[in-house]
Amino acid sequence: MGKATVKMCMVMTILITVLALAPISSLARPIKIGIVDTYSGPAAVFCNDCLNGFKLALDDINKRGVLGTKIEFVTRDDKFKVDLGLSMAKELVMKEKVDVLVGTMSSGVAMALSDYARTQKVPFIVWLSKSDRITGEKGHRYAFMTSENTAMVGKAAAMEFARKPFKKFWIAGDDYEFGHAIANSTWGYLKKLKPEAELIGESWWKVGEPDLIPYITNILAAKPDVLIACTGGASMHNIMKVAKATEMTKKVQIWVHGATDYLVIKPLGREAPEGVMSSNAYQFYYPDVPSNKAFVKKFREAYGSPPSFMAFHGYNTAHFIAEAYKKAGAIDKEKFINALEGLKIDSPAGKIEMRACDHQVALPIYFGLSKLVPEYDFAIVTDVTTMAGKDVMPTCEEIMETRGK
Amino acid sequence: MESVPLVDSMVINLLVGLSRAMILFIVSSGISFVLGVMRVPNLAHGSLYMIGAFSAQSISVLFGGSPVSFWLALILAPAVVALVSLIAERSIFCHLYQRDHLVLILFTFALSLILGDLVKLIWGTDYKSILAPASLRGSIPIFGASLPTYNFFLLALGPIVGIALWVFTNKTKMGKITRAAAVDREMVDAVGINVSWVFAVAFVIGCYLAGLGGSLVAPTVSISLGMDHTIMIEAFLIVTIGGLGNIWGALLGSVIFGLSQSFGVAFWPQFAIVFPYAAVVIVLMLKPRGLLKSVW
Repeated sequence: MGKATVKMCMVMTILITVLALAPISSLARPIKIGIVDTYSGPAAVFCNDCLNGFKLALDDINKRGVLGTKIEFVTRDDKFKVDLGLSMAKELVMKEKVDVLVGTMSSGVAMALSDYARTQKVPFIVWLSKSDRITGEKGHRYAFMTSENTAMVGKAAAMEFARKPFKKFWIAGDDYEFGHAIANSTWGYLKKLKPEAELIGESWWKVGEPDLIPYITNILAAKPDVLIACTGGASMHNIMKVAKATEMTKKVQIWVHGATDYLVIKPLGREAPEGVMSSNAYQFYYPDVPSNKAFVKKFREAYGSPPSFMAFHGYNTAHFIAEAYKKAGAIDKEKFINALEGLKIDSPAGKIEMRACDHQVALPIYFGLSKLVPEYDFAIVTDVTTMAGKDVMPTCEEIMETRGK
Repeated sequence: MESVPLVDSMVINLLVGLSRAMILFIVSSGISFVLGVMRVPNLAHGSLYMIGAFSAQSISVLFGGSPVSFWLALILAPAVVALVSLIAERSIFCHLYQRDHLVLILFTFALSLILGDLVKLIWGTDYKSILAPASLRGSIPIFGASLPTYNFFLLALGPIVGIALWVFTNKTKMGKITRAAAVDREMVDAVGINVSWVFAVAFVIGCYLAGLGGSLVAPTVSISLGMDHTIMIEAFLIVTIGGLGNIWGALLGSVIFGLSQSFGVAFWPQFAIVFPYAAVVIVLMLKPRGLLKSVW
């Protein structure tokens, strides 16, 4: 064999080796998730629980691996502030080079991050914020939502109120994006379903307002049939306390989305008010199916308490990410998005789908009244009515219309 | 719409506003007291208020089930806050008294951040709740509305705290010394009184009031991280409109703030947030140095 031939063989060997190793080396790098959420202040309790659900899912997912690698994540605290959230997101995208952005509790921050994700062409999954504008009017290719949104909650509430003999309504809540979004959605749908419904007043307080007595006292004096309480975070807890202190449920039907979530209701113990209408996309004790029981058991073993609906969203988000990458077959942002559209996964509460037209997960909304029961040392929701996700979501045509398409 | 007669509505809102004002007074009087004697706005005041609320909850749980658990918490929680403030004052703060004023303010700011994170470390992020004692639960019907019984308790307690502060500053030797130090600390030093210890007493009393405010408000709110920020803005505005360092000014400012909020809610609930701050703007436009005379 001549020298030239030997050289040729060596070059060919090296070339083939490099080409063979290249795809393996690109698959070897972990999938990186950048999470921007609120880990300080009153919202921290919810965001920590969400992260716990996410981590619980990742523990299982990473045992099997995804595309031959693991999913890793980094977190940043936005302190519930838009400017901070945005700068954290920029750092995650530009410096940490995350493959997917995930977040956040504040709808205001989520809207800012969504806009940024669009300009950077990075997939952004909203897992706790609920403003329907995120996947509705301001929705786009790069934004996804794994929690229920205010349009779904509002429509579900309107359907519930429409079939009951309520006529006079008062709207009150936190004066920020979520509060107004849920109010507008609920009232908008209610007027269509029940034109005779009358809005007799509105009250708006600053986010986290500790003293709701002046507001509630005046609302009670006006004698509405229903108080639509558009509260998030600590205000959910505050309004439940005030409802008990003023014996409100004896005079007015109050509705609070998320009022009987474990994290909100547990601190009140046996002193929680009964008769509060509460809605949610998940309760750890409902639905009472084997998959949910298994999830609750694993969560309790890992974290010492049952999961809240935030943990449910975090858990589902991890599975959506993993399944989408498996379907995409590569760590590629555009392929990931294509794979995520229309994807169905098994959640603890049953199969759920990421609707392709608007990137919104179709989740059922459960309605019921708070009640103290012997089995628990806190109030739970009973007489549950389930509204299927497909029945409460805006249609794809309505979504496109709001986007001006 | 069936509505409550105007006079009844005004009485209800007066009571609601005044009960809110009492909490604001107890908290802001602490800031005012420290500001008056030490001429330093204690930016850690809100954190100490938060520690008061969390401590009250923990103490209440410790004596859980006991009929006196709330009262014990009301006595012990502010004492815990006073102890924390004494440790902070004697270990670091007192060594900064000769430094530039800005350094003192920065110390209190740093303390607020440290205490805020300590609360997270010790108590976690979960919401906490404490009940009012059985004798103060429920509500009292008044003019067609229901006001929680606990609010009447706050209405009674606020003036008691104000009188206690007045007695301390006017009728006790230490109180008179703190008033003298507020006016002329150099002269107090010149007559051989240890001004550093005077400042320590003033700081601890001010922080005790923050802890008392937190303990009192605990049965009515969600005890959670972030409650330090909410109270700080309101308390500082009250101190500003009341007259810097003036306790009675703090009372007057609290009443204006509380009543403007409750009447704002009654007459224009969609924009009720604006009313107390509009009241502050009007007061400062009319009396830029505050309603009552500043102590310095």
